Amino acid sequence: MNLMEHMGIEPGRLQFSWISSAESTKFVDVVKTVTASVKALGPNTTYNKQAVKVA
Amino acid sequence: MSGYQDKIKEVALRLLKDGSVDMVIGFRKGTLPMMNEPCFIRRPEDVHQLVWDSNCGINLANYLTDRKEKIAVVAKGCDSRNIVTHIIENKIKRENLHIIGVPCQGMVDKRRIISEFGDTLLDVADDGENLKIKIHGSEKSLKKTDVLQSNCAACIHRNPVLFDELAGELVPEQAGVDRYAEVNRVEAMSPQEKWQYFEDLLSPCIRCYACRNACPLCYCPTCFVDESRPQWVGKSQDPIDIRTFHFLRAYHCAGRCTDCGACERACPVGIKVRQFTSKLNKDAFEMFGWEAGMTLDERPPLDTYKPNDPNDFIK
Amino acid sequence: MKVFTIDKKEWALGIEKAKSAYQVLGPVKEKEWHCFKALGKDEQPDMTYTNTRLSPKFLVQPQTEPMFTYTLDESRPDHHILKEVQEDVCPKAVIGIRPCDAAAFLLVKRNFDAPQYQDPYWLKAYNSMTFVGLACNDPCPTCFCTSAGCGPFHEAGLDVLLVDSGDRFLAKSLTDKGIALLAAAGWNSLADDAGKIEAMKQAAESRIASRISTDRLKAKETTHIYDAPFWEDTAFSCINCGTCTYSCPTCWCFDIQDENRGNTGVRLRNWDSCMFPLFTMHGTGHNPRGAKMQRVRQRFMHKLKYYVDKYDNGIQCVGCGRCIRLCPVNIDIRKVCNQMNDYDPAACVCPA
Repeated sequence: MNLMEHMGIEPGRLQFSWISSAESTKFVDVVKTVTASVKALGPNTTYNKQAVKVA
Repeated sequence: MSGYQDKIKEVALRLLKDGSVDMVIGFRKGTLPMMNEPCFIRRPEDVHQLVWDSNCGINLANYLTDRKEKIAVVAKGCDSRNIVTHIIENKIKRENLHIIGVPCQGMVDKRRIISEFGDTLLDVADDGENLKIKIHGSEKSLKKTDVLQSNCAACIHRNPVLFDELAGELVPEQAGVDRYAEVNRVEAMSPQEKWQYFEDLLSPCIRCYACRNACPLCYCPTCFVDESRPQWVGKSQDPIDIRTFHFLRAYHCAGRCTDCGACERACPVGIKVRQFTSKLNKDAFEMFGWEAGMTLDERPPLDTYKPNDPNDFIK
Repeated sequence: MKVFTIDKKEWALGIEKAKSAYQVLGPVKEKEWHCFKALGKDEQPDMTYTNTRLSPKFLVQPQTEPMFTYTLDESRPDHHILKEVQEDVCPKAVIGIRPCDAAAFLLVKRNFDAPQYQDPYWLKAYNSMTFVGLACNDPCPTCFCTSAGCGPFHEAGLDVLLVDSGDRFLAKSLTDKGIALLAAAGWNSLADDAGKIEAMKQAAESRIASRISTDRLKAKETTHIYDAPFWEDTAFSCINCGTCTYSCPTCWCFDIQDENRGNTGVRLRNWDSCMFPLFTMHGTGHNPRGAKMQRVRQRFMHKLKYYVDKYDNGIQCVGCGRCIRLCPVNIDIRKVCNQMNDYDPAACVCPA
């Protein structure tokens, strides 16, 4: 994750969580926080290959 | 320098004559200024070819894997750390190696000299302290410590960490060098600036994979960029695919890279490819106190679990 | 064939004039090294350069070239049809290309413009170009063009040869295309000292000290060289990167890939290299050139033996020296070529 952010991926776009199958409430909370933080960042315009780009 | 060379020859001759090794892997004089070629010597009468000077930047640990012979290898500090890494990763057996350790005072950054003097460079002589550069009709002397590869200038492990015998007296290690100056500079940038920094850095890449192939760590039978079922990465000159190759390659070196600089040295278009691995080296050091290849007695942090491993990235 | 004189003070104006009829490309310095680029208004080619870092073959054969596009979207009338990507075939003037790099296109042309098959992408691009060469007054120490069928003032493959003569260029028109370009640039004063070129040519040639021998390659038995013991030693240091092939002006190998996103896609032609294991990997998983030594041998055998045998027109190398300068481990084609040329299986005493 550090290297991803180091090369310019905004903090918050990539997140890691460890959730047990028994932790349903944690799962819901994490999904809510992650979607909120990614929505706040807006669409990923950098590390996103729409179509091949050649010089 | 020539003292090292004589000693390397002497040891190589002895080992080949008494049959304790089948081959010696070292360097022979190249056909261009500032270029020596990795070579193997099997016969005592060929030992005279071996050379040592400040143009031996290629990492010889790269030539040790998948061989059946008993090998003597010439190893400077970083090479010896990659040998340790190979042994830890079961790529080579310690008992099949005879390591001729060379305390190192840094390798010359040939790219810097070529970009300053051009392709018309005729000869570069190394007297240990200085480089004498010969171009058409003139000569210039440079202090060697001013033109070292950037990884060598910031190296704190010049002496081999694992060896059977030494080609010279151990050298004092450098203190007070800033190994992560460039990483720190990039870390201070905004995400957009960081993205742009790597965009510029990688713009000349031609995907020749010299960086990957010069690296002793890259020994996968099939690299992920060469997989076709599934194909992980596009194979064109698309900048996203080029970036994916570079940072994924770096990830595979996390906690293993010795910052030998072979990748950067090999790059035909002068990309500072160490900018990816340096960040991982810094993280490995700050998070796990780890420097790759320093000892045979400890497992690397990424293949072992410790209760106090930092895990604040998991939310 | 006529020789014109171009005062360097009028040079920039001529280049600007040519831009109205051509897209003008020339060497410009980017970061540390020179590269061919399309020149915008008031941008000038750097005619003091030594040579470009990589060869200009990409002008005709880009590293990635879109060939076709397609869509599977059935609401579109052209669904399931491969549509050719239209190349930009406007007239282009390549100013300042070195004679070796222009000659290299002719060697490559034998492959892309064969009697039986013609490659439309390559030919359209090539034919759109007018090559204005810049003779080498100061060759590099790694140049060995004179013994590789080429030379610092070599004319084959060029439309105009420029010779830098201090405060002016001498411009030798070699083809109709060349004459048209000189006219478009308004360079029309005839030189009264055209004879000077021959003396400068000889001086430049005499400066090239580096040579290879190729005279016996053709007569050699292919299998003898193929089985020669020196390949193990030659290939040992090779790291199997593609630097030599990608920097080479005469290496032409490619790979074709489809890239899809959703139900549309593009078919691409990318450079490929005989140095890579994947290059010869069969669908069965078998690889006829699975070992590094086999791949190194292939590169040299192709350039210096198979090509010689197939076309009977010299080696597939113009002596530009890029692979020598850029090889990370110093594998030197001059040394390998001489080894192949000198190899005598009867005289070989293999180490026990």
